[in-house]
Amino acid sequence: MKVAIIGVGQTSYGNKKHQSIDELVFEATKKALDDSGLEREEIESVVTAGSDALDGRGISNMVIAGGSGAYLKDEVKVADGGIYGLILGYLRVASGVFDNSLIVSWTKSSEVSTDLVSNLSFEPLYLRSCGLNSITSLALQTSTYIGRADVKDEDAAKVVLKNRENGLKNPLSHPLQKPSIKEINSSRFVSYPLRESYLPPESDGACALVIASKKRAKSLKKNCAWILGLGWVIDEYYAGDLIVETRHGVSLPLLKRSSEMAYKMAGVENPISEIDVAEVSDVTPYHEMMIYEALGFCRDREGKVLIRDGTTKMGGGLPVNPSGGILSSNPIFTSSLVRVAEGALQVMRKAGKRQVKNAKVALAQGFTGMSTQGSCVVILGS
Amino acid sequence: MKPHRIGIIGVGQTKYVTRRDDVILPELAREAAVIALEDAGIEFKDIDAIVFSLALDALEGVEGAEKWCAGTVGGFRKPFLRVHTGGATGGSAVHTGFFHIASGLFNCVLVLGAEKMGETHEAQNVLNQIFDPIYERQVAINAVNMCSFQAMRHMKKYGTTEYHLALVAVRSRKNALRNPYAHIKKEITVEEVLNSRVICYPLKLYDCCPRSTGACAVVMASERFIRKLNKRDVAWIKGVASCTNTYFMGDRMDDSGINDHADAEGLFLAAKRAYEMAGISDPKKEIEVAEIYAPFTTTELSAVEALGFCEKGESGISNERGVFDIDGKIPVNPSGGVLTANPISVTALARVAEAALQVMGKAEERQVEKARTAVATGEGGSLQFYTVTVLSDEM
Amino acid sequence: MKDDLIFIAQRWDIEFKHAAGETASTFFKAIMQRREILGRLCPKCKRVLLPPRSFCERCFVETSEWVKVGGEGKIQSFTIVYEKFEGLPPPPYAIAYVLLDGASTAMVNFVKGLDLNNLDQAIKKIKIGAKVKVAFKRKREGRITDFWYELV
Repeated sequence: MKVAIIGVGQTSYGNKKHQSIDELVFEATKKALDDSGLEREEIESVVTAGSDALDGRGISNMVIAGGSGAYLKDEVKVADGGIYGLILGYLRVASGVFDNSLIVSWTKSSEVSTDLVSNLSFEPLYLRSCGLNSITSLALQTSTYIGRADVKDEDAAKVVLKNRENGLKNPLSHPLQKPSIKEINSSRFVSYPLRESYLPPESDGACALVIASKKRAKSLKKNCAWILGLGWVIDEYYAGDLIVETRHGVSLPLLKRSSEMAYKMAGVENPISEIDVAEVSDVTPYHEMMIYEALGFCRDREGKVLIRDGTTKMGGGLPVNPSGGILSSNPIFTSSLVRVAEGALQVMRKAGKRQVKNAKVALAQGFTGMSTQGSCVVILGS
Repeated sequence: MKPHRIGIIGVGQTKYVTRRDDVILPELAREAAVIALEDAGIEFKDIDAIVFSLALDALEGVEGAEKWCAGTVGGFRKPFLRVHTGGATGGSAVHTGFFHIASGLFNCVLVLGAEKMGETHEAQNVLNQIFDPIYERQVAINAVNMCSFQAMRHMKKYGTTEYHLALVAVRSRKNALRNPYAHIKKEITVEEVLNSRVICYPLKLYDCCPRSTGACAVVMASERFIRKLNKRDVAWIKGVASCTNTYFMGDRMDDSGINDHADAEGLFLAAKRAYEMAGISDPKKEIEVAEIYAPFTTTELSAVEALGFCEKGESGISNERGVFDIDGKIPVNPSGGVLTANPISVTALARVAEAALQVMGKAEERQVEKARTAVATGEGGSLQFYTVTVLSDEM
Repeated sequence: MKDDLIFIAQRWDIEFKHAAGETASTFFKAIMQRREILGRLCPKCKRVLLPPRSFCERCFVETSEWVKVGGEGKIQSFTIVYEKFEGLPPPPYAIAYVLLDGASTAMVNFVKGLDLNNLDQAIKKIKIGAKVKVAFKRKREGRITDFWYELV
């Protein structure tokens, strides 16, 4: 059964210390409902997505219930990145049991040390005491990639510049200055090969979507974003297993697998020519290049070419991250749902100054877990 | 909407115990998976997707512990999703498995989880942290006394007594003797319950569940897959629904009597929706066995009323009459229920697993005679999240 | 191996700085500065929400109007805790949800000033429906424990 995104609601991203977490969620949910034209009374299903450890709450959807519109509704939480909320929302509506669903995700990392929380994602027997957190594990993955794909520091800097320039056109972006190539290239190493300038900011924010069945979406007679394909898979927890494989194989094999699942469902055969715009999880600039390869936008080890020749810039053949990506705004647990929201805005032709002309098919991509253990791809069409 | 034909074809549980020091969490989860797959007569390679049932990360001590388990339970490069609605997690996981198949994308889904809360020093300290840090946490609320508030209102509203609560504990303990997986296997008397030490008045030690370690898994499949497998023992999922109530329990305590903390309104609404989907109009007559998520005696009293097994306020007297005994009119928790094993992450999943065994006729010593339609529930948060699953031996 | 297994001790020690937001901050400031309990009025269903929230989850509209509620109310539910729980205060202590005069929802806090050592004696006094008043700490710091309830 076909399912469409009919409403998008986002807070702006940045430090939201004036709002409590449920207020932040209410803001995004209300915006999504208003955008969809549906009243809360008409909503049949709610899927929330949040992290207990980041929220400092044992069951984070307890407090979120009110703000996410879930009062006396059929609600469920995925304890995973926001894009997984969309997946479950899709499954619920596609089953025919529900006519529509809200999808709500939030992050308020300004209230906690994310480095500390991400270290706790590593099990205590073999990994936790070995200096691992989200950044150092991404650095390990990156150094493997640099070694095998011969990527230069300047390529990474160009990705950062591209996304941050795009971000300046996004009114919701985390307030950041435009950096120069020189600043990017001279910034200190946080965890080699990752420089401070290669890392996203930490943003608070919430994002909500309303999705609906084909019948409901058609009856609204408005632009919507059809969910054409979905793919999500999980990989081995012990990154060491993967690094061995990646050295001799492809970048992000799990993303390759999830994109194949999504492409098959959507009937996409030649991604570079069939996809008009992509919103991907640029958790580091190197990861954006790895993603190009895994998604089949280019051949293995050639992600750098798309950056060097400007293909993925605004105005290029396949603009990637016109919103500015995660390098411009990073509400950690929610960032992957923001990719879907931005992809939807593109095919709904509601992306304002960041609109890609004639965008008919958009791809949104998210990660979950440490060292991108889980990966998800969503294909949207106008 | 055309009716969905989705069934449970395999069930796996470990014995629920206080601690399991011989295995790590992923290994524990795998134990249940292996049993469930064997029961279904399939292998890991036949599984299209996995739904992981894991509640509070803080109880496991690993943030996102499902990812630690993913490979070990056969998830390598497969679709994998974790849901978490506190105590209701297992119910949400079964529903999520149902929607995986009902969407048409998958034919066979493994729904499983594991709990190792025996490794935390003090579970109620963790459970205090589910309450709001701004308005409520510092007032020392935890999972025990939130149910004390429910008990107090039930007693005030309906004249329920501590004796009625004790009857629930006595019956659960008695049933658990028949269940090889139960954690607590020791009969008690009403007097022993009433004389046990007060934890949070009016709840006493024997009104409360243990904290358990263990794993549970079910294999869910589409009609097509089941036919191909030529499987006869199937628990068909006839209805799934959940309902989320207010976070602040005080919102359910005005004098109107509407959405009252005494009454499990969330469960009432979830049951209403699930019954409608299952085509059940008179639960008293049509439900033949129930596995109810009731970690405290009082929770079960409110639940049987919300599920329509008796009128509001009559759960106490119905217990006196033995309505919910294993040979009564609507046997409740023939497994012994949550009062005799509470591995939080999979407790609600175990309710579905036990209900499935009943309608499959595979519940052995705890089998309820002629149980063909069963209901299983989950409860999580501040008596806030409820799940209801209706199962039947008929497609 | 059965008796010779290794155990790895770990603690989760994460500090959080939870933003109370403008609404809860106003509530706590009224307690600190004026010993007043403020609720928030839903413009649609007219419920006075306590604890105050910036939106009504039922009507899904923002709230903005503050309403001062009474310093007295009725117990809607209570418990007396006799067990020592790690991280929670030493027992015994009583907690109650109280519907303060003028509020539509009940708010939880400790009930103090009652001898709890004998349960049977205590529950003769503390009951659902019993009247209580709000008592404030002398030195208030913007916490829910700045006030408590006492039986009238």
